[in-house]
Amino acid sequence: MGSLRTFIKDVRAAKTLAEERSMITKESAKIRTRLKDDHLSLSKRRKNIQKLLYLYILGEKTHFAQVECINLIASDEFENKRLGYLAAMLLLDEKQELLTLLTNILKSDINHPTKYVVSMVLCTLGTLTSVELARDLYPDVEQILKFSKDRYLLKKAFQCAAKIVIKDPYLASVFHPYTVKIFSMPDVCTHGVLLGVNQLLQSMATVVKSNEFNDYDAVASTILKVVPELLGILKQTNSSTLNTAYDVHGVCDPFLQVETLYTLRLIFLTFKDEVSSYNSKFTSILGKMVTNVESSKNSANAILYEIVRTVFTLESQDSLRVQSINILAKFLSGKDINTKYVALNSLLQVVSLEPQAVQTHRKFISRCLFDPDISIQKRALELIFNIIEDSNMKETVDELVNFITLSDGEERDLILYTVEHLLTMFDIRGIKSKGWTLAVVIRILKSMGEHLTVEIIGEILVMINNATELSDKRDIALQLLQLSLSKDQPIISEDNFGWKLITVWIIGEYANLVLGEPGVTDISLTGYLNNLNNIYSDDHKLIGYILTAALKLSSRISDPGCIEKLRQLVKAHEQNTDLVIQTKAVHYSILFSQPKEIKTAFLEAMPVFIKNVAHELDSGEKAISRKPVQTDLLGDLLSDIPSEKKPVASISNKPGGGSLDLLLHSFTNKNPSLGASAPLTTTTTSSTSDQPVTIPNIQISENIPSSALEIHTSSAIQVFSHVESANQGSANIRLFFKAKSSVTQLAVLVAVSKTQKLNLGTISRVNMIPGQVATQLLTITGSGILKFRIKLSSQNGINLQFDHKFDTTL
Amino acid sequence: MSKIKYLLLLSRQGKVRLIRWYRSYDQREKALILREITTTVLSRKPRMCNILEYQDHKIVYKRYASLFFICGISPEDNELLTLEIIHRFVESMDRYFGNVCELDIIFNFSRAYNILDELIMCDGAFVESSKTSILTSMAIMDSVESNDSLEKVLS
Repeated sequence: MGSLRTFIKDVRAAKTLAEERSMITKESAKIRTRLKDDHLSLSKRRKNIQKLLYLYILGEKTHFAQVECINLIASDEFENKRLGYLAAMLLLDEKQELLTLLTNILKSDINHPTKYVVSMVLCTLGTLTSVELARDLYPDVEQILKFSKDRYLLKKAFQCAAKIVIKDPYLASVFHPYTVKIFSMPDVCTHGVLLGVNQLLQSMATVVKSNEFNDYDAVASTILKVVPELLGILKQTNSSTLNTAYDVHGVCDPFLQVETLYTLRLIFLTFKDEVSSYNSKFTSILGKMVTNVESSKNSANAILYEIVRTVFTLESQDSLRVQSINILAKFLSGKDINTKYVALNSLLQVVSLEPQAVQTHRKFISRCLFDPDISIQKRALELIFNIIEDSNMKETVDELVNFITLSDGEERDLILYTVEHLLTMFDIRGIKSKGWTLAVVIRILKSMGEHLTVEIIGEILVMINNATELSDKRDIALQLLQLSLSKDQPIISEDNFGWKLITVWIIGEYANLVLGEPGVTDISLTGYLNNLNNIYSDDHKLIGYILTAALKLSSRISDPGCIEKLRQLVKAHEQNTDLVIQTKAVHYSILFSQPKEIKTAFLEAMPVFIKNVAHELDSGEKAISRKPVQTDLLGDLLSDIPSEKKPVASISNKPGGGSLDLLLHSFTNKNPSLGASAPLTTTTTSSTSDQPVTIPNIQISENIPSSALEIHTSSAIQVFSHVESANQGSANIRLFFKAKSSVTQLAVLVAVSKTQKLNLGTISRVNMIPGQVATQLLTITGSGILKFRIKLSSQNGINLQFDHKFDTTL
Repeated sequence: MSKIKYLLLLSRQGKVRLIRWYRSYDQREKALILREITTTVLSRKPRMCNILEYQDHKIVYKRYASLFFICGISPEDNELLTLEIIHRFVESMDRYFGNVCELDIIFNFSRAYNILDELIMCDGAFVESSKTSILTSMAIMDSVESNDSLEKVLS
């Protein structure tokens, strides 16, 4: 059998994967049989284990050799022990029962005269400690901490103790004195030893409160003595001059600095009251560190980043917080992409605490939008949406639109994210149908129309439809049509479906506003519809829009030739193989031939679409009650169901009727975002059940009823409650959560008194941007005073709890 | 702090060159992590940042010549410092092997593991920040080992 080297060479020389596999399997089998041979010499065993470790790296099964590691460790030779311990650490883990076999060897090796053997024991113990091993071996680890003067062993013993304490928290009371004692021996306090002390302190701080730990006071008094020493370490390392062994790009031991900062952070959180006398000292050191660390190298940034995290975890004073945000902003302005990444992440976490300070660095944040890494872009976007306010709204929106128009449509997710959030934001701020916001969406549509979803296009339709100023509508219609009808080089991309769909719709709705403007004539509009009708003959969605537009346009133009063309267009679809289009065409043909005054009355522009807030509030029951109504209406329309009123009859019954006539109502319906095709789709639910009504994705924000009571408010979230009903034995209470800053993954826990039972409905949304509202229904049954406790938590740091008592008794 | 969950050395072709788990994952989890990380990290473009979110934790990686050094770290860990830890590992190997290359690590993987053990212990805690200390201990251990075998030959 060849050496490890030959084996590795052979494996690497394998020409195909299959060859490599067979080589490995063969060798693995060989090793297995050889190791079974009791008379195999130790040196041969060692060779086999070496090969086995190579197989381990390659991902092969190695369980059969676990006992062999112990055999090697038991040998007296250093070479064997070294490999044996390595193999044990790689092949075993703390769950294995085999570890009991290891205990005795470890116990004897930890007192081995060669310190490197002791070090390997500590290392192995640190990796494999189970609770039992921790209890068996802690006295030996303690002996080292007590008597050894060897820095190399001390550092490892501290690390090992840290792991032991995690495994068995009670042992913290054994080890805590050593964290102080070590500082009285400055000659052994190397950075390595200090790292170990840090680790042990962190373990202590972690376990001391989580268990019924009975030695809290002793540990706390130790901690109190350690804190000044730790602060000393920070001060010293941070201001120390060059020391080549610890220097990392001009910074002295960032590892120790960061580790110490973290330890102090844990201590100041866990032993808040005990160490409060050191608060100001810590703060002043942090302040000094900020100014001391000057390099822009990664090592320096790592320390600054840790300082920032410390400042925000400890809720330090304002000046330090603002300083921290400035550090993060400096990170953003730098070149290093990783630093930018952590800065954006941190800013996202603290933006709710210091919105103004973050706000001042908006320029740097915006610049990150143009970073080549999408994860940076995404975070920058999220952050920007967090800091938009009235004063910078137009400017910011402008930047965002620039960003998506320049993105070349490569990252569709980002585009959609931006557009959806923009629309939601417009909606929440009630500026959705203002002139400039409309101009913004048209800009988006112009360059990005092909990437937008049906829902977004629908939303844009509604925005235009709801514009309060007629002149705004007119401007938009004109802008759209002139670009669409332009005979020059096509300005609008051929693939821009969204744009075309909206143009078609605009022709139907607002042709009368713009007819007569340069380029906008009966002929050009009719031609545009006809042209699209030919190109997109198999796109049922667009054809649906074209049909409606053709019908409506026919009532707004006077050129008989054009009207005839439109009639032909509609008529042609009476033969369409698609049932929905066909029925539509048939009905439109009937309408088409009605006298002009009747037609005009029916084919007015759509009314303002009023968002039915109730829908959103209890969408559950409404959704159900909504459908039958539609089916009825459209059942009438299609005469599927014998009904009292036929649509055509209704037309003649009420000539010149208002635009909210039954029929038109069914056209506009409650879902005008999909234009006229939506209701027709639902009518034939039986035949086209695969085309359910799509409700726009962008949810309209819930409204909080004025009678709702504010029961809690914090910097991140406001909570309202509204008693919907309270009868004998049962009550329905609706909770509203209004986000003040963005909330991700909100989790709500509610508890009621023991005499009552609670049924918690689902929350309407778990992620919110500032201003958005989520709602949740509570049904409480039982008796007694109505009261509850609410616990809120979210992934981005909300963690609060409060109680509320109502005047009502069940 | 510095709770490295696992450290992984991958070649550009996705071959594992060194792997060390600092948490007890079972076989299935290990296989999943290994597979997913391999595809994710290898497909990263050069100008992307070296930190990414994965499962409930973060991955920090850095490419040195033909090798990717990949660390899984806990959420409270300092990503920038992890890059320094990776760099310190590379630096230590570089000095130990003298201008280290992928082949050194392939053929002397147990030495690479030994160096790693001097740097990182227990649950992935960083142990020694002195560059010289690691090399000194490595040198002494190597000499103990060769003395041992020398004595064996002589006896």
